[in-house]
Order: sequence, then C-alpha cells, then structure tokens
Amino acid sequence: MKNDHQSGSLSFVLAVVAGASMVGCASAPPMRTESSTSGIRAAQEVGAEKVPQAALHLQLAKEELERAKKLGADGDKEQGSSMLLRAQVDAELAVALSRESAERTEAQAAVGRVNQLLQENK
Amino acid sequence: MKMNTLVIGAACAALLSSCAATVPLELTNAREAYRRASNGPAAQVAPAELHVANQALAQAELSFQKNPDSYQTRDLAYVAGRKSELATATASINIQQAKEAQAKNDFQTAQGKIVKDTKEDLNQTRTALTAAEQTGAATSVALAASERSGNLSAQQLAAEKAARIAAEKKASDAQMALAKLGSVKDEPRGMVITLSGSVLFASNQSVLLPEARTRLDQVVAVLLTTRERNLTIEGHTDSQGTDANNLSLSQRRADAVRDYIVAKGYQADLVKATGLGEGRPIADNAGPEGRANNRRVEIVIARDVHASNP
Repeated sequence: MKNDHQSGSLSFVLAVVAGASMVGCASAPPMRTESSTSGIRAAQEVGAEKVPQAALHLQLAKEELERAKKLGADGDKEQGSSMLLRAQVDAELAVALSRESAERTEAQAAVGRVNQLLQENK
Repeated sequence: MKMNTLVIGAACAALLSSCAATVPLELTNAREAYRRASNGPAAQVAPAELHVANQALAQAELSFQKNPDSYQTRDLAYVAGRKSELATATASINIQQAKEAQAKNDFQTAQGKIVKDTKEDLNQTRTALTAAEQTGAATSVALAASERSGNLSAQQLAAEKAARIAAEKKASDAQMALAKLGSVKDEPRGMVITLSGSVLFASNQSVLLPEARTRLDQVVAVLLTTRERNLTIEGHTDSQGTDANNLSLSQRRADAVRDYIVAKGYQADLVKATGLGEGRPIADNAGPEGRANNRRVEIVIARDVHASNP
C-alpha cells in the first residue's frame, strides 16, 4: 500500500517535471528575423549592390541571415538569434556605406559646379 | 571620458581573464575598428554612433570575460566592430553632407557675386552708354549747329554775293538804260546824264514837251532804282540872248525837270535844281550844232548814298 503511495507520488513529480519541460519548450523565444530582413531590403533599395564595399556587407548580411535561419531550423535558436545580430548590423553598414558613397558623389558634384561656375566667370 | 574608462576597464578585465583564454578574432578586429573610429572624425562629427560602438565593444568585452570562447562573445565582438565601422561611415556621411552644403553655399555666394558683378557691369555699361549717347548727341548738336552756322555763313555770304552781283547788275543795267536815253558820263562829281534841250523844251520855253515826259519817265524809272542818291538837275543854255534870260530860263527848265522827277516819286529833298545859263558850254556856240548841244539839262547822280542835298 505504502509502495503504491510512493509510486503515485513519483508519477506525479514526473508528470509535473514533464509538464514543466513541455511548458519550457513552448515558451522558448521565437527567432525574430524581421529586423535583419528589413535591413537587407533597405540596403538593396539604396543601391548597396552597386557600391563594392556596401555590396560585400549586403552579401554578408544575406549569408548570416541564412545561417541564422539554419541554426534556428536545427533547433539552436539562441545561436541563430545571435547570428541575426550579425546580419542586422551588416545590413545597417551596407546602407550606411551606400549613403556615404552617394553623399560623396553629390558633394563632389557640388564642388565641381562651384569650380565650373568660378572658372566660367573668371 | 566615462566611455573610455568603461572600455579600458573592460579591456583590463578581459586582459586579466584572458591569460588562460585566447582572444577571438572578432574581438581583436572590434578593438582595432573602435580605435580607428575614435581616432578619426567620428569623435567630432558622429559622437552618438561612436558611443553606440563603445557600448557594443564594452558588452563584447564583458561577454569575453564571462565566456571567452562562446559564440555570444564572438557575435557581440563582431557587432561591436561593425558598429565602429558604422560610426566611421556615418562620420564620413556627415562630412560629405557638410561639404555638399558648403559647396552649395559657395555656389550661391559665387552666383550672387556674379549676378551682383554683372549688374554692376551692366549699370556701368549703361552709364557709359548713356554718357556716350549724350556726348554723341551733344556732338551731333554741336556738329549740326556748326553745320547750320557754316550753312548760315555760307548762305549769308552767298546772299551778300548775290546782292552785290544784283546791285552791280542793277547799276550796270541802269547805266545802259540811261545810255540809251541820253549821254551818260562818269565824272568826278558823279554820273552825269545829259538830255538835249531841244528834246525836252520848245524854244525859249520851260514847259516839258509830251515827248520829253515820255523820255523823262524812262529816266525816272532808272533813277528810282537808286533813289537814295542825291540828284542835281542843271539847266544849261546856249549863248544866244542875255545872260540873265538864259540864267532864268535854265533855272526854270531845271526846276521843271526836278518837279517832274519828284512828282514821279523821287524823294524831294534829294533833288536840287540849278540854272547855270550859258556859263558851261560843252560845244562851240558859233555853229547851230554846237549851240544845240549846249542847250541841255544835266542830271548829276551823286556817288555817295544818302546825304540829303543842302
């Protein structure tokens, strides 16, 4: 009778642990790829593919996004999420480098216009 | 300062803890990237981005202290390195934007100066043009005035010349006309027209014959063209008869001619009549032809213009 009682208590504990572990699995944060994806899209929209250095970081961002997705798919969502940070920051850098290139071109053009104006009106 | 202290502290801690652990390549790169960014223009023109990079590097260093070989440390270090590059890129963007803004400002300034200079040049050109036009106009006016003056002078000269020629022709014509009417001689006392007494008067009479009037009309017409000159009408007789009679007859005859000339319009005070009798013969009274020549009336036209007869 006593063994039955002990056996019932053990079953309860196991059930609680199992339930708890199931709850734990269900509450693991899902991998958020939105920031990385939108960052990559933004880099493409500003023409990062046409700027060599920006294109490099855009490519890195894409590869890191794919690696993160694969890690998540393999069950390593934490490492996948960490990898997404890399994808996101490379996409941001691709955008910045594209803008820097465009601003440099516009600044040079503006300076050129000034020089031309001064040259033509010497 | 606070940022640097934090990073240095984290780096020292990492150094101490890394005696046993190898620093991941990502962290080494991140440190170098941050060093470059903080030594570059980002510190001045992109401090916010540099601060973010600093925090990211500190987070990586802390992670390195806890888990030197973990993927978290490598990923955080990777992100920290990229954040430093972002700070550098943002600094470059800000610099290029400032450069572009300065260039645009320079362009506007240069353009404004050019417009201003152009306006000034235009105004100067307009002023010069106006002055040139005024000078030109003044010159034209002066030239026109000069031309007019020259024309006027030329016209005056021409008019004077024409008047002189006309006057000379008039005198010549008058002389020729008088020559047809009687004897005309140019003597020191003036031009002398000699009319035959037999043409003007009947014998021993002082009344002008009709034919004489016609003849005198022609003479008067000529005299009226020089009406401003003094005339002296002289009556002369031959030597027949007494001197007194001849003198009286010559005076009456001179008066008759004078009256007729004045009646025809010659100014009375310019005409004087004088009877000289037989005292100034021009031919021999011995023969009938000589006596006929001596019976005469002479009209002396003074050389000088004006000067009324006394």
